[in-house]
Amino acid sequence: MRLALAIASLLILVIHGLVFYDQFFHKWEKFQTAYFDQAKVMAKSESERAALDGRSPRIEQILVTQFGEMRVDRCTTCHISADDPRFEKYAHPLKAHPFSAALGDKEINGKWERRHKFSDFGCTVCHDGQGRGLKEYYGHGKDHYWPDPMLGYVAQDTWRAEYKPKLVGKGYMEANCAQCHTEENFASTPTITKGRQLFFEKNCYGCHRIEGISNGTLAPDLSEVGKKFKVDYLWESVVDPRANLATSVMPKFNLTDDEVRALVIFLKSRRGINFNETSLERYRARIEEKKPEAVPVATTTGTGTVVPSTVPTPEAASALARGEKLIAEKSCVACHKLGDKDGGIAPDLSFEGLLKDGPWMMKHFKDPRAEMPDSIMPSFNFSEPDYQAMTDYLLSLKTPPPTTTAADTYKNLCARCHGEQGDGKGISWLYLDPAPRDLTKAAFMSSKPDERLIKSIQEGVAGASMPAWGKVLNETQVRDLVAYIRQTFTKEPARVMAAHQVPDQNPITMTPDSVKRGEQIYLMRCTGCHGRKADGKGPNSLDIIPRPRNLRNQFFVQSMTDRRLFDSILYGVQGTAMPPWIDYGMTKNDVGDVVNYLRSFNQPKK
Amino acid sequence: MPMGKNIISTKPTTTEDTNRRKFLLWLSSLGLFGSAVISVVSNLVFIKPRATYGQPNRFSVGKPDDYPPGTRIALDNHRICIVREENKIAAVSTTCTHLGCIVGLSETGFACPCHGSRFDQDGNVTGGPAPKPLAWYKINLAPNGELEVDKDAEINAGTYLNL
Ligand code: FES
Repeated sequence: MRLALAIASLLILVIHGLVFYDQFFHKWEKFQTAYFDQAKVMAKSESERAALDGRSPRIEQILVTQFGEMRVDRCTTCHISADDPRFEKYAHPLKAHPFSAALGDKEINGKWERRHKFSDFGCTVCHDGQGRGLKEYYGHGKDHYWPDPMLGYVAQDTWRAEYKPKLVGKGYMEANCAQCHTEENFASTPTITKGRQLFFEKNCYGCHRIEGISNGTLAPDLSEVGKKFKVDYLWESVVDPRANLATSVMPKFNLTDDEVRALVIFLKSRRGINFNETSLERYRARIEEKKPEAVPVATTTGTGTVVPSTVPTPEAASALARGEKLIAEKSCVACHKLGDKDGGIAPDLSFEGLLKDGPWMMKHFKDPRAEMPDSIMPSFNFSEPDYQAMTDYLLSLKTPPPTTTAADTYKNLCARCHGEQGDGKGISWLYLDPAPRDLTKAAFMSSKPDERLIKSIQEGVAGASMPAWGKVLNETQVRDLVAYIRQTFTKEPARVMAAHQVPDQNPITMTPDSVKRGEQIYLMRCTGCHGRKADGKGPNSLDIIPRPRNLRNQFFVQSMTDRRLFDSILYGVQGTAMPPWIDYGMTKNDVGDVVNYLRSFNQPKK
Repeated sequence: MPMGKNIISTKPTTTEDTNRRKFLLWLSSLGLFGSAVISVVSNLVFIKPRATYGQPNRFSVGKPDDYPPGTRIALDNHRICIVREENKIAAVSTTCTHLGCIVGLSETGFACPCHGSRFDQDGNVTGGPAPKPLAWYKINLAPNGELEVDKDAEINAGTYLNL
């Protein structure tokens, strides 16, 4: 008992002592004492020495009020000699901050003068880091929960090991320079300039919005991305778009490390608010920006960077060459395939002239979702002549692929979407909605007669990425292809299905009453998969492959005959989750109402 | 008789036992008393904050060249006035010693707008309710070549820094 008491009380003493030590003996005090001692040795005059004698270690603090929110910078508590040029050759933390012309420092009569005085700028404005932290771990921001680790100098413990070495380097600090020095091609921020160029070259602007630079709507707004994310996250998102969002449709751009770094630094500089701006100024700038005449067509607003050239050069060699150049420059191949370049996301353009016509292309350029409701292609807002030139060029691509056997045909034309194994998982399958058919699904494939498959190949599938291959292949080739697919992938001949009793024409006339009844039935039976909005995104849709049809894809719905709709609804679709509703007591009249309801919001646009 | 004797025990108490008990008692007291002392010291020190949240009291006011000889420049955000005469420089407080208003510069020295206190060039009271002369603060030439004023250190009026 007494022993326990003695041990306990000693333990308390030790803990108390440790806390006391931790709270009252700081590393920074040692640094400051070392500095005072050294400075005294270097002192040239008695008064200087006396001044140093009068100083004792204490927390140094700079209040920076000019750059956004007020910053408390206590960095000089450890880096006490940062502004003492005599300490240039010392080791950190006593090392003096170097002078550099790139930072705007000037040498006058052999004496350097700072452009960014510590008393005005503090340290964190340029370096990031947590100005209040008094221990290295906190001050430099290694703590995961503190917002900004020191830019380019510190890799946080939690960052992915393989990226860590890439995330350090002076270049990263440009991200902070660019928050005040917003001018393009600012000499001291070459990496930012490069990153901005890449942002346009790689067509990032087509999908992403950055206030004052671009207006993309498909992908996340990047105006404040630098505020929200640390550089490791940015790096990861650029090189591996699906690392953080499995459903991301951003292409992999296969950039070099230098390019990624430039983009990351550029993105890190996007923090919404310019350090120099008060919110009022920003508000005014926004109003200014909204003035209609300030927004030129086909270029971006604000700083109007490396915008796509809008002036057609009359003496351009030929319109075709111009179109070709545009297609190459605009990174179309970041998504599309063209010749030996392949972005692996969007359809092959190599013989586009055979598949599509001019008006379709022009319409598609201007509004990609006009013909393809679920397309993920951004509208890039180029100029009309640019679109015309690109269309002209694509129309000239009329060389059909060299095909001999059905196997070759499949490899050249089909595998890109339907996959080498025919399982519907070609390189671009993830980006296509509706997804390519899984040709190995015997239930679906064998329930469809050859004629149906041939028709789909020849005429394409409306509202989907399946083009009308009948323009490239002759009928024998198509027949051979179907045979090849059945043999190789489905491995089962077409079943002769018992003829379904379905009407050719919807027997229920389209009336508001019928549409209303159809809607009632739809809400009861169909929303679970096809969704309340009938866009194919019902609560169950996530677990279902192939995904439920988007019934608002009017091109698809219009291409469906009443007969096919009745068949699909009453008898289900083999190999998919669509059940035969006839088994659940749905009558032909019910189906007629549902079909009327579906047709009611899929009327062709006038 | 030692304190806290085990009453139930029938074993006779030996000297060894007594020594051991004394030693343990001594250790316990040391632990508890030591902790108490540390607590008291900590509390006393903690009462005074180590860092303030306002503007720091030692700050840089720029190069001596920013203040040509003969100037008197008031820095209202720091509440001081930099006085330069030939090669001598000083920092005089511009906080009125009456109720703490910021005094302005006048022909003859400083004048307070609130209740009319007047001070001469050196900050001595020449009129009005102010009870004390304006303070002078220590000013140093920092290694980076800038002047550094330390408002924590008051010095005698008329003490200049020789440049
Ligand atoms: S505060 Fe200056 S005179 Fe009263």
